[in-house]
Amino acid sequence: MSIKGVERMQKKWLGLSLSLMLAAGIAGCGGNGNNNKSGGAAEGTPGAATASPTASAAAETGEPVQLKYWTDDRHDQEYIKELVNKFNETNGENIQVELTVMSENYAQSVDIAFTSNQAPDILRLKSGNTPEFVKKGYLAPIDGYLTDEIKTKFGSLLIDGVNRFDGKVYSLANTGLTLRLIYNKDLFDKAGIANPPASLQEMVDDAKKITETGKSEGVYGFALNFKSPKSAFDRSMREILSLSGYQGLGFDLETGQFDFAPYSQVIEYFKQMYEDGSILPGAETLDIDPLRAQFAAGKIGMYLSFSTEPGVYQDQFPTEINWAGTLAPTLDGQIKGTSEIVSAGTWLGISAKSAHQDAAWKFMQYMYGDDILKTYHEKGFGIAVVPSIVEQAKNPEIGGMEGFLVGEHDSLWPAVPNVTPEGSTYADAFFKYMLSGGDAKAIAADLNTRYNDALSKAVEKGEVTVTPDPAFDPMKPQGE
Amino acid sequence: MIYKWKRLGENSLFLAPSVILTLTLGIYPLIWMLRYMFYDYAGYGEALFTGLDNFSRLLRDTLFWESVRNTFVFAGGKLLLTLPLSLLLAVILNGRLRGSNLLRGIYFMPTVISTAVISVVFYNIFNSYNGMVNTVLMKLHLVSQPVDWLGPKHAMLTVILVAVWGAVGNYMLLFLAGLQSIPQDLYESASIDGANAGRRFWNITLPMLAPVAQMVIMLAIIASLKGYESIMVITEGGPIGKTEVMYLYLYKLLFPVSTGSPVTQQLGYGSAVGFATAVIVGAVTGLYFFFSRKMNKVY
Amino acid sequence: MNESVISKQPGGRPQTVDRTPGTAGRIVTRTVMWLFLLATAVLTLFPLLMTLTGSLKTGAEMMTGGTLFPAKLQFNNYAEAWKQANFARYTWNSAFMSVMVTVGTLLVASMAAYVVDRRDFPGKRIYVTVQASMMFISVGAIVLRPQFDLMVALHLNTTLWGVILILVSAHSSTFFMLQGFFKAIPRELDEAAMVDGSGFIRTFFRIILPLLTPGLGVAGLFAFRHAWNEYILPLVFTMTNPKLQTLTVGLANLRYGSSAAMQIHLMMAGACLSILPMLLAYILANKTFIQVTAGSVKG
Repeated sequence: MSIKGVERMQKKWLGLSLSLMLAAGIAGCGGNGNNNKSGGAAEGTPGAATASPTASAAAETGEPVQLKYWTDDRHDQEYIKELVNKFNETNGENIQVELTVMSENYAQSVDIAFTSNQAPDILRLKSGNTPEFVKKGYLAPIDGYLTDEIKTKFGSLLIDGVNRFDGKVYSLANTGLTLRLIYNKDLFDKAGIANPPASLQEMVDDAKKITETGKSEGVYGFALNFKSPKSAFDRSMREILSLSGYQGLGFDLETGQFDFAPYSQVIEYFKQMYEDGSILPGAETLDIDPLRAQFAAGKIGMYLSFSTEPGVYQDQFPTEINWAGTLAPTLDGQIKGTSEIVSAGTWLGISAKSAHQDAAWKFMQYMYGDDILKTYHEKGFGIAVVPSIVEQAKNPEIGGMEGFLVGEHDSLWPAVPNVTPEGSTYADAFFKYMLSGGDAKAIAADLNTRYNDALSKAVEKGEVTVTPDPAFDPMKPQGE
Repeated sequence: MIYKWKRLGENSLFLAPSVILTLTLGIYPLIWMLRYMFYDYAGYGEALFTGLDNFSRLLRDTLFWESVRNTFVFAGGKLLLTLPLSLLLAVILNGRLRGSNLLRGIYFMPTVISTAVISVVFYNIFNSYNGMVNTVLMKLHLVSQPVDWLGPKHAMLTVILVAVWGAVGNYMLLFLAGLQSIPQDLYESASIDGANAGRRFWNITLPMLAPVAQMVIMLAIIASLKGYESIMVITEGGPIGKTEVMYLYLYKLLFPVSTGSPVTQQLGYGSAVGFATAVIVGAVTGLYFFFSRKMNKVY
Repeated sequence: MNESVISKQPGGRPQTVDRTPGTAGRIVTRTVMWLFLLATAVLTLFPLLMTLTGSLKTGAEMMTGGTLFPAKLQFNNYAEAWKQANFARYTWNSAFMSVMVTVGTLLVASMAAYVVDRRDFPGKRIYVTVQASMMFISVGAIVLRPQFDLMVALHLNTTLWGVILILVSAHSSTFFMLQGFFKAIPRELDEAAMVDGSGFIRTFFRIILPLLTPGLGVAGLFAFRHAWNEYILPLVFTMTNPKLQTLTVGLANLRYGSSAAMQIHLMMAGACLSILPMLLAYILANKTFIQVTAGSVKG
């Protein structure tokens, strides 16, 4: 490039800078002028979405009825595939179900599907996403299909805000997940600890002892998958709190308001473990699977997680270590509540946009049959909560499952409203406190303000309803 | 007359695809954003006009401003490492050097690989309990304890290093292009005049490279402010928000990254954040323009 | 560069019979320089090497970590990734999308660039300005929603065509690159063709475009690279349709196993598979790629 080239270059440079300035201007003007047009296009979309399900008469013409079934469960996918195939072959009404196992972002995927005319007919529902789905009008009530037999079978498990909203039923229970403290017995023995911790203080002490004994070999007392603090706390804090007598997601069922004060008590112990250096280094960005791999390799003393863990250690991370699941520790060692069985009231639901709701129910009925529910439990994919199934089913034959079975200290809890506050979530805020300190009380107070603000806004918009229950008893969360 | 219409028709025909695509998929989304930043819109149901509410929320949104600060730390760190390194490599490789073609190829390799894919690899080699980086460092006795590369203290450094890894080759090449276009006779005459290499570098190379460098730096600034894919894969902005950059923050308002219960999409607020980020990036580039042009006048 | 050392070190020990005075110093600098070059090369290649060795380890080996090379080469990983982990489909999706984006981008941008370079028409300045500004305005992920809504309205959201159109719509950098190449083709050629009775369209496709082949090749390679490595757009657009996932999306998704364990060894094998085509393209086109990349910044 000669001098001329350099000049040309500079000219081009100048041109670019000019165009940048201009562009800002253009974008600005366009915004005002075209408001209506853009609004029209945006509102046109839902119209396009509703236009298509009219092609519903296919069933009568002998073509198979195609049903889309979405789930985000992966641990049971082989079994579910089997069931779906069997249904497709035997239903006798030419119904074909296609199972799609979605990856992460399930809720997002469902959102996108419903705004873009690709909604599935049958959805896997979890108690975490069901209220949101109902609120957005994705789900069809199934009351019309419920026979007396079904009502007796599932009747005790129809819970407002979980599977029943405004008196309408949207899903039925199958299994739930219990949560436990999972600990490496060998490491406890080595450190000279006889029993798993009953109180948080013991947990802190045990973690410290295990770390002291094993640090030279890369062994640490405690870990959680803190890459997603919410995922980490919702599998640990939640149980510790509910067993200590408080709702596990920071909601006070007595007052119908958020109250993070109990949460801030528990976090102190986590913080202590972090300061002691008892937590696996790198846990700050740990995903759950690497954590399991490290646990299976005998590098972690304890962590808390769901009843899906035994299956994982049987199939994906076969391990030599002796481990077990046990009730989570509580604030003071006393059990003042019940361990929450999570994701228990819901399993499958039908899309409000489905053109084949009857066929979808047919499939649902098949899936909720006694045999399938029983086998589902026996294979260890979840822990049965339906009373008639609990009576019939054998205990799953998976190592370590004993500790996860539903016992006297487990129960279902009422649903809590899901709100989106401004600013950071409780999990992020408390994780920050755990790592870098601050004023726990102020953090809890700030969270209370922001969450209750968001809650009252949502109530105002009619998106959630809250009924305080002053007589709420954490030992009997569902009343009697 | 017919001739003129024919020309117009041909022009329109050739420009139409570009114009239509740019209007619908480039400009329309901007207008959409400029509209919805005044609304409370969750992506379904009705959008509620809220005036400037989103902007007052933006002003008190400490998470956003922290992400802005992180963006500048990230971009600054990346630029400070990338630019000198790539310039140095370019200057060396510009000389007649055995194997320079091979080296050029090696340095350039990272730029042909997907950021998302290689970031997954980086997550694995930087983790502190079994990552390769720590294994090597400990075997070489450079450190005695595993370094917590992805912990709150070092995570930013780590994502910067990954970004530098991905960028050096690209800017090296651009600098190389600039260097090769400097006429050789300038150096020759300078040598005859007795200027040593250092002086030749300052007196010839740098000024002659300036126009190219100006553009390269510009591209680098924009790219480093915009990049978030690799951070999204490696740390998701964590731990405790230490690596949250503004475009990642925006992305997470729309598409929560991790599993967990659903979070409502905040399209209205997201629009306001999108607008703010565009203004911030625009302001930085504008400032850079202003000063680099001033520099031009000095020469 | 090397000569600089000589002049800086005039007092090199005269123990050798070499005619240059600064041999010792020269050797030292050369050594330092080569150490630097090699160290950079090693650091550049290290993650790629880790990917390669990782792809040949067992899952357990990957998870426990700590070793550089696999105990036993698990070539089976590739077969498994290809079949079980759906990489055959991902690769097809990526290839389809990238080829279409490349063809589309080249066509749209070259037609527009040709008209803009050869002819005058009302609004030309505005057009060029808008194209330039599209390269600089960046509002992040917020545009995905309006773009998605548009594709839903056009019923293109259930195929990869939506993603393809959006990627083609971002053709401004290709446009400017090709405009530069058109400048280099003498106008007399067009005129001569026209005199011979060739129409505008025919002249463009039959005479000018073939002459542009090198430029198209490089611009195409850029477009291909961009599309092949694109992550966020296909991620969002294929959320409801896992069958449409591209390699980048499928790969990054493997790092989470919602309830099942992730399979890093397969992920690494997949990463190698996804890197391979770009690496091949790059090695084959190494020279032109680098030269013309360089050329594109010379303006």
